[in-house]
Amino acid sequence: MNTRFTRIFGLLAVASMILAACAPAATPTTMPPTAPAATAAPSIDCKGAASGDTLSVVYQWTGTEEESFNTIIKPFETACGITVNAQSTRDAAVLDTLVKSTPPDVLFWPDLSPLKLYTAQLLPLDTVGGDQSNYASYWITMGTVSGKWLAIPVKADPKSIIWYSPTQFKALGYTVPTTFADLQTLVEKMVTDGQVPWSMGYNNGGSADGWTGSDFIQDMLLATQGPDYVNKIIAGTVPYNDPGVVAVYQIYQKWASDAKYTIGGADGTVNTPFLDAIYKVFSNPPQALMVKQSGFAGASIASQYPALVYGTDYDFFQFPGAQGLQGGADFMYAFSNKPAAQALIAYLTSALGGQNWAAANFSLSPNKNAVGNYTDPQEIKFSEMLANTTGFTFDIGDALGAPFNTAEWKGIVDIVQGADITTTLATVAAAQTASIK
Amino acid sequence: MVPTIMKQGRLAPWSYLLPALILMTAFIVYPTIGTIRLSLLDATSTNSAATTCTAGKSCWGIFENYHFALTNTDMLIALRNNALWLLLMVPGTIAGGLLFALLADRVRYESIAKAIIFLPTAISFIGAGIIWRFVYDIETGGSPQIGLLNAIVVGLGGKPVTWLSNPAINNFSLMLVGVWLWAGFCMTILSAAIKNVQAEILEAARVDGANEWQVFWQIMFPTILPTIVVVTTTMAIIILKIFDIVFVMTGGNFGTEVIANRMFTLIVTNPGQSTAIAVILIVLTIPIMIFNIQRFRKEEAAR
Repeated sequence: MNTRFTRIFGLLAVASMILAACAPAATPTTMPPTAPAATAAPSIDCKGAASGDTLSVVYQWTGTEEESFNTIIKPFETACGITVNAQSTRDAAVLDTLVKSTPPDVLFWPDLSPLKLYTAQLLPLDTVGGDQSNYASYWITMGTVSGKWLAIPVKADPKSIIWYSPTQFKALGYTVPTTFADLQTLVEKMVTDGQVPWSMGYNNGGSADGWTGSDFIQDMLLATQGPDYVNKIIAGTVPYNDPGVVAVYQIYQKWASDAKYTIGGADGTVNTPFLDAIYKVFSNPPQALMVKQSGFAGASIASQYPALVYGTDYDFFQFPGAQGLQGGADFMYAFSNKPAAQALIAYLTSALGGQNWAAANFSLSPNKNAVGNYTDPQEIKFSEMLANTTGFTFDIGDALGAPFNTAEWKGIVDIVQGADITTTLATVAAAQTASIK
Repeated sequence: MVPTIMKQGRLAPWSYLLPALILMTAFIVYPTIGTIRLSLLDATSTNSAATTCTAGKSCWGIFENYHFALTNTDMLIALRNNALWLLLMVPGTIAGGLLFALLADRVRYESIAKAIIFLPTAISFIGAGIIWRFVYDIETGGSPQIGLLNAIVVGLGGKPVTWLSNPAINNFSLMLVGVWLWAGFCMTILSAAIKNVQAEILEAARVDGANEWQVFWQIMFPTILPTIVVVTTTMAIIILKIFDIVFVMTGGNFGTEVIANRMFTLIVTNPGQSTAIAVILIVLTIPIMIFNIQRFRKEEAAR
């Protein structure tokens, strides 16, 4: 009985999907793409989807992340009577098989690789309910291929931040720097005062030595050159041994290998586990004053030193002078223009979608309307950073993958240990070319 | 007269060999041929490796991956390090094993002593790597040293040493872990050989006035030499393939790269180059294998 019911239901679901797929050109350009959502009483536009419609989506989220996403789409499901059938996979090969047989209606993927792989199959988002006006223009640029807007981020995790102790800064009379020049001045002042500015740690238990260094260097590139420059490195139009990169490495080499600038000099940098590097800034007494690390450091500090209070004992500031942020972002792609898919895309890119995303505290929503709806103090601070920045870049190593990332990490370790910057970066640039090819 | 049923046909011996032949073909011959084929192709395993040549630079045509494997900077370091491992760790384990075997032979609590020395062999390479990471740990910035070696060094008034990140010493630090792991294995086999040396010969030598040093070098050593050769060749093959210790403890950073770690790192991004390195590793072990087989045949003939 039960199995028969499932079978019939399954058949119905398949039939409805086929029907939906067979009726394409019916609704593509009916909605005005630039109509601003009414901020007073936001409502959910179901785009003509019938109650009982189903929608297939693929994403990488699991566990609490998946629960957060379900919370966010719950109002949409209730309002339109749409059932979202989700498949969670982190495997690009699984996605590839799916796309080539039965593509999901909507895809959420944490990089821009689908833009290259499935350019022909992806539908321009402005034809399927997406609202550009709720996003900063750099997000639209990132997701646009030859004039077609194919991807929009629903979630972002910036990591261009530096952790410090406000208490220590106050006691020593330092203020949070706002430009890269300020940061350099502050570092020199700390050294003159006999303080150690940085705590660095590469030790990650083996092969990934150097990734904390690569985050630091990318933030310095964002400060000295800007997000376009970093995106050109990812695209391969700026080689990794460009003078702009070399200049950053010269500053970094001094900071990471001199015992006056970082705990233990080069030996400390390459041997200290990356978590210990965080703790050393908040130990009593602290061994250094600043540590460059992503948002997760907050949770690490809280569990290592439960007595410390966020905001007074530990806090973070945006990497001074960074003209853009680096981090991860999950992008939304459309493979289907069926009403249910249009309704979901319209909801998530609407003002209400952004507000609900923020309220769920599921990292950040790049949607402009998300600001002001976060409850977690660290997320609030992050959201303000995101709202005021002018660009976003993926981690260069993550975006290019191997062999670039392994060569980059190895190069950073070598340079910290005193290797010549020009020759080392030439090797990394060769790996950059190989990664892009 | 032999009953017909017990007579073997021409095919009978082959039928006994068949299972072994099938297994060998499926799991050794076929993959080896596949590996060699891949090593002649590019990173996508579809085009000839010759297509990866850069114009204007020297090119080995279809053997371009081998060109890479024998000239790339990281590979040169790896080849140098593998040679170092062979030259230092093989004698290290044999000498260590022999010393323990001889000393244990002369004490009453022999089995306990041998069990303790043998214990590391039972630990996985990964486990050993993690244990020794703690031994070699260094703390900077005034924190107390939690690494055993550096705690001793500092306790004696010295400055903490970067055992794993200083390119001048880190390879030796890693080899010490290797010796610690394998000396017990060598000891067990050598100890058995020592037990087989006839006590009468040793007694006779001592009666004739030979001292212990002479007894060892003139009598004991030549008698157990065949066993030492077996252990040496076995260790040489094991050490050529060294991977786990390096992977866990330094990840091939700081100039500690070895051939097998290069192979492992490259398999994801460039199967062509990775398999070329694998083939080189096979080629390097072949002479040792041939030597082993020849010696085995000679021994069989002498019986």
